[in-house]
Amino acid sequence: MKMKFNKMLAAVGVTGMLVGAMAGCSNESSGQGDGAEGDQVTVELAGWGASPEEEELLQQTLDAFEEAHPNINVKHEVIADQYMDVTKTRLVGGEAADVFYLDAFEAPGLANTGVLEPLDEYVTDEFEIDDFQDPLLNAFKFDGTQYGFPKDFSTLALFYNEKKFEEAGLDGPPQTWEELREYAEKLTVDEDGDGTPEQYGLGFSSELARQFYKLEAYGADVVGENNEAAFASDEAIEALQPIVDMKQDKIAALPSDAGTDWGGDMFGQEKAAMVIEGNWTVPFLENNFTDLSYATAELPTVNGEKATAAFTVAYVMNKESEVKEASWELISFLTGKEGMEIWTSKGLALPTRESVAEELGFDEDPIRGAFVAGGEYAQPWQAGPNLPTINNNFNNQFTSALLGDQSLEEALKKAQETANKEIEAAN
Amino acid sequence: MEPARKETPSHEPDKSKKSKQPNKKQKPKRYMSKGWKEGLSGYLFMSPTIFTIGVFVVIPILYAFYLSFNDVQLLGGIGYEFIGLENYTRTFDDSRALIALKNTAEYVLIVVPVQTCLALLLAAALNSNIRGKNAFRIIFFLPTVTSSAVLTIIFMWMYNPDGLINSFLKFLSLPTYNWLADPDIALKSIMIMNIWATAPFFMVIYLAAMQDISDSVYEAATIDGANWWQKFIFITVPILKPVTFFVVVMGVIGTFQLFDQSYIFSGGSGGPNNSTLTVVLLIYQYAFKSLDMGYASALAVVLAFIIMIVTIIQKKFFGEEKLHD
Repeated sequence: MKMKFNKMLAAVGVTGMLVGAMAGCSNESSGQGDGAEGDQVTVELAGWGASPEEEELLQQTLDAFEEAHPNINVKHEVIADQYMDVTKTRLVGGEAADVFYLDAFEAPGLANTGVLEPLDEYVTDEFEIDDFQDPLLNAFKFDGTQYGFPKDFSTLALFYNEKKFEEAGLDGPPQTWEELREYAEKLTVDEDGDGTPEQYGLGFSSELARQFYKLEAYGADVVGENNEAAFASDEAIEALQPIVDMKQDKIAALPSDAGTDWGGDMFGQEKAAMVIEGNWTVPFLENNFTDLSYATAELPTVNGEKATAAFTVAYVMNKESEVKEASWELISFLTGKEGMEIWTSKGLALPTRESVAEELGFDEDPIRGAFVAGGEYAQPWQAGPNLPTINNNFNNQFTSALLGDQSLEEALKKAQETANKEIEAAN
Repeated sequence: MEPARKETPSHEPDKSKKSKQPNKKQKPKRYMSKGWKEGLSGYLFMSPTIFTIGVFVVIPILYAFYLSFNDVQLLGGIGYEFIGLENYTRTFDDSRALIALKNTAEYVLIVVPVQTCLALLLAAALNSNIRGKNAFRIIFFLPTVTSSAVLTIIFMWMYNPDGLINSFLKFLSLPTYNWLADPDIALKSIMIMNIWATAPFFMVIYLAAMQDISDSVYEAATIDGANWWQKFIFITVPILKPVTFFVVVMGVIGTFQLFDQSYIFSGGSGGPNNSTLTVVLLIYQYAFKSLDMGYASALAVVLAFIIMIVTIIQKKFFGEEKLHD
């Protein structure tokens, strides 16, 4: 009997420990009542990770903000991977940051769900909303409501290797896509003759984000009136066929074909003599490939028209935020003249305010001038709330067209069909 | 056994039976209460586990089942709408679900037989009296100890077009492949990696079972003039049948649930061209990229159902009675 009693005692002990542990948990979680204690307010700011250089600039900007607003502390958090998945999940759980980054690409979908705070009421004359470049501002304006203010933007331009151009006897960047093809042919080098060039003429990315800007010049659309996929048109085929042909002729290649992660790396390692990339590539090349002699140029014209893509990111406010006033202070500082000037001072990204752009004068910069020039006619990477689905299906099918597994026409048709089926099922 | 024996021979009149019964009744009563006490302490001991499994396994399973019949709205106000079997009928019309299922089935059909055979052969080799077998056992088991995420990243380096594997193939004048970016090859790259990493785990299970086989059986076979191969095929393999059942079932379940490797390989997209899209990866995409929990749950239930059916088929195939030997 004594044994039994001991056993019982042990059992009760174990259970007791369990209950104790649970109580401990609940105690911890209930101790989270900070926020608006006294005069000090903490604003959470979430974004994705970036280069150390960018982190430092952001920290400088935030330090300047905290100095100007001594009662507001900014808690900056970096979401390292799968930013949108994490952010959406946190929004559902009510744990999202007060202020966070939002890519224009995802903005329509997220604004639709009503988790973003409309910012119109907060805007004062002092903020000078007219100073922003309109296309970038409109990327975050839905049904007349402004949900975010663009913190910066990037455009695509052509990077070309000056040394390789000289070796191939080429002078200056190509002006049209036809010329680009000729150049690429001359710049492709297959020394050992095994059919796999060691140096490709052009490195490019196959994603819709890097291809869509060619469609407009031919009169093709990415999405239709009801936000459904609508890229399977003859015009779109005309716009995209040149790059497919170049890839199949092995004068253009994807970064993965050359064993690199992305275009900048491919260009830096001289596995491609030209790449189409954004201004984020500039600091990467400066830091990692100091000996590389390269130049940038506006993208060659598509069907006689200038075209490039613009990628922009805004600061948006969480509708569930408990510190909205302070959050607005942060947003208005970061996207205001003072904050934006610090943030874009090194040209890692371009300022969205015209006054700041003028002040910094990147249009005069030999490397960055091409990106600024592109800003005038760039199309923002955005096309309705279903773009993530459309993008995913396009990317999958376009890859197989590039590999020659199916014709471009088939690929686009299949991608459009699948995307529209998915969109219909999801709504 | 004793009470039963006492009862059967007694063909006494009903009276005695009746008189016995009250006695009997009293005894079980005491036993019952004792047993009840035992049971209570047993349950108390189990309560931490029951609680944990209940909260983290049983309730989520039931909840997922419930979700699969609903259209779940998560962002901007949580809302459920009962839509019956709509999520299930949607799977038939979802071409990506079919691709994912095809990829997963292909993966299972290739990986499970290969890794099972490889595990058996490795175990047989290490069970014989070769030199340094302990060292080999450790070396072979190492991949299993490595975290699968780390393993995948290292393999991705080796699979790079200019990486170790292609350099090696080039050195041997064999054709090289674009292991990561070619849609025809990408899934096979994951297969190779997974077979290499999982086979040793099952090898250890086989090895343990092999050491349980009595030497006398092999001695008898030797006297009958059986050679090494005959002993392996006619003694080792049949005796190991229950273990093989376990290895195959666990292998099938594990491979059907392939997620981490293809997630890391494709950066979560299942690309290139959906070639590494598996069912679990698709569930992840629907659940966390599209926040379509209802449909994702339905897919998860379908996957569980498929695994269940396949396991039942295997049970029939291997013969149930062998399990209880």
